[in-house]
Amino acid sequence: MSRLKDLQKNLFGGTTSNARQFGMIFTLVAIVVLFQILTDGLTLRSDNLIALFQQNSYILILAIGMLMVIVAGHIDLSVGSVAAFAGILVAKSMTEWDLPWPAAIVFGLAIGAAIGAWQGFWVAYIGVPAFIVTLAGMLLFRGGNQFIGNAQSIPVPEGFREIGSGFLPEFGPNTGYNNATLLLGLAAALAVVWREIQARKTRRAMDADPAPMWISVLRMAIMVGVIAFAALRFASGRVGTSFPISGIILLVLVIAYSFYTRNTAGGRHIYAVGGNSRAAELSGVKLKRVNFFVMMNMSVLAALAGMIFVARSAASGPQDGNGWELDAIAAVFIGGAAVAGGIGTISGSIVGGLVMAVLNNGLQLMGVGTDRVQIIKGLVLLLAVAIDVYNKSQGRFSIIGSLMRPFRREDSAPPASPPDAEREPAKAAVSG
Amino acid sequence: MRKFFGTSVVAISAAAMLALAGCGSGRDGDSDSGGEAAKGFAANSLIGVALPAKTSENWVLAGDLFSNGLKEAGFQADVQYAGASTTVADQQAQITAMTTKGAKVIVIGATDAAQLSTQVAAAHAAGAKVIAYDRLIKNTPDLDYYVAFDNFKVGQLQGQALLDGMKAKKPNGPYNIELFSGSPDDNNAGVFFDGAMSVLKPEIDKGTVVVASGQKEVKQTAIQGWKAEGAQARMDQLLTSTYGSKELDGVLSPNDTLARAILTSVKGAGKPTPVVTGQDSEVESVKSIVAGEQYMTINKDTRNLVKETINMVKALQAGDKPQVNDTKSYNNGSKVVDTYLLPPVAVTKANAAEAYASDPKLAPLTK
Repeated sequence: MSRLKDLQKNLFGGTTSNARQFGMIFTLVAIVVLFQILTDGLTLRSDNLIALFQQNSYILILAIGMLMVIVAGHIDLSVGSVAAFAGILVAKSMTEWDLPWPAAIVFGLAIGAAIGAWQGFWVAYIGVPAFIVTLAGMLLFRGGNQFIGNAQSIPVPEGFREIGSGFLPEFGPNTGYNNATLLLGLAAALAVVWREIQARKTRRAMDADPAPMWISVLRMAIMVGVIAFAALRFASGRVGTSFPISGIILLVLVIAYSFYTRNTAGGRHIYAVGGNSRAAELSGVKLKRVNFFVMMNMSVLAALAGMIFVARSAASGPQDGNGWELDAIAAVFIGGAAVAGGIGTISGSIVGGLVMAVLNNGLQLMGVGTDRVQIIKGLVLLLAVAIDVYNKSQGRFSIIGSLMRPFRREDSAPPASPPDAEREPAKAAVSG
Repeated sequence: MRKFFGTSVVAISAAAMLALAGCGSGRDGDSDSGGEAAKGFAANSLIGVALPAKTSENWVLAGDLFSNGLKEAGFQADVQYAGASTTVADQQAQITAMTTKGAKVIVIGATDAAQLSTQVAAAHAAGAKVIAYDRLIKNTPDLDYYVAFDNFKVGQLQGQALLDGMKAKKPNGPYNIELFSGSPDDNNAGVFFDGAMSVLKPEIDKGTVVVASGQKEVKQTAIQGWKAEGAQARMDQLLTSTYGSKELDGVLSPNDTLARAILTSVKGAGKPTPVVTGQDSEVESVKSIVAGEQYMTINKDTRNLVKETINMVKALQAGDKPQVNDTKSYNNGSKVVDTYLLPPVAVTKANAAEAYASDPKLAPLTK
């Protein structure tokens, strides 16, 4: 039993928030396995995995920003409209004003920053609730999109499409795989091992108990196994396809924002503000600046998401961004964030977003219509949050966890996790 | 520390080997796309049909017809509608899922004709044939066929019916008419108008037909968003400004909704009913035609369109080239798409019973 406790405590961290995440990862793996069986192996086939990442990268990028907004105790309903507004302006800038596409991307991010500054100003400095500000923004920028685009679709040039539908290039000897993707996988595996060693060193230097050796090894083995599996899958798609560029953008953002929210003062301030804004302010946190930053950051990411969608669709259209805010918010809450703010992690939100994405994809592969898919997604969202709320009131960490407890053996392999899910117990997310 | 490294290396390489073993070998699907196309495919293959959201009866009807028709022909059918709010993203995901499942033909009724080129390219690369149904998918060289009603012909029939109708009421001109056209952002609206003008323009030039208000430009005649209230407001204003003493003989209306709005306006002003054209065979308009108010509408029978599409799929299955009747007019921005155009049918009171005989909903109205 003590080994099991070790496992529970150390594999993905020991706090309730992390245990919740453990539950979500478990759910994700269960859903993947379920659909893998139901769809006769289509779910984990390379072309489907590649499509899954391409289709959902923009929602997951939104979820990163939305997590920070929700942790700070706000909400942003305008992301879909902001994405559509930036998308149409960027498309116009390239087709009508002949802006080269790299400049157009910078232009798009600048639009996002300007819109974010506008919304952040009302939220942080005037004190209008974010719900109202972004509800207004939702109407404002949706209208702006229709006004500028005249309800028409505007195509974008080839170069720009790469950020939404491009892949890592093919080079080097013919190994039967995409070499760039293999190298990326190798780098990720080395990073995981290096991090584990660093973490052990740090804990020893701090005279803290390092996790038992076998746990460290097991954790690394699982991570490397998952990375190797994913890299090979992504590298073995049809020639010309490999790990998508939009996936790379997502990975970079996940790593950067995870570091920011976990390991920097600025990031911790967001949790402090969301946990108790008065206490945070009295402790010297610049409340207005934090609120301004999270709202502005959200709109920049929304503009980026909009551009990626436009690039993937090869055109900006009047329907872009419809309903995105709800997908992003659902991902964040399924991923374990608290409605009241102060609790939640980037990696949790990504896992939450992936649960929705795999569910969507699996049901579509089975030929289930969108009407029923929406019903199922609605129920999953409600159940995930209900279980969380119920367990908090019961002081337990997870129904799935407590159900599984009697069946667990010491040698039972715990579920695998995506590369970003690993974390250090000492720095786990807690409210400020 | 050494023990740590030792066990790590063993465990990690074991995990990596496991992953490798699970993956099988190398890349798939790059060799079999070339030669197979000419030979057709298995008779029980999967055929994907991606349609827009279930917002109009017409699409729901088309979906049911596809499900049943493809099953009867021995195929497996996967008919999907886009969701009501996230239409474009849903349709993109559905087309990708159909490609993954190995559909041999994917029929697409596009929600946004310009936003599907990435998915169409992926489907094409995987060896599927792509047929655009009713709406031409733009900016992609990977679209194989297009099947639709001939919209230029729709306009021509409207123009001709307008002339015929006026002649039947009053043997000699000149006739006073007004022109209406559809929403300026709808590509089809311009095609309808051009078709009608190809018939009306010679008469206008001769002076036998007069646009009394002088409003002949598309900018002046267009009704934004195909809105009934827009057409009614424009007609009210035309009646006041132009038809105080003159008689209005005919109105070119691009569809049934606008036609009924125009008739409402004329009735409200207490004027005699002019000859008004329409399109779509909406229930209310068919009633109006039978009652002798609206003069004509166009019947674009979804059954025939679906039947023709399924014929294309059958031809592709057998390895033949599907029948097309237009290889010149439909340029989607990247290529000229081989097209099968179905002829629309003009319906007036005289032929309504015959035209709707096979339509269970409209047939009783004509009795």
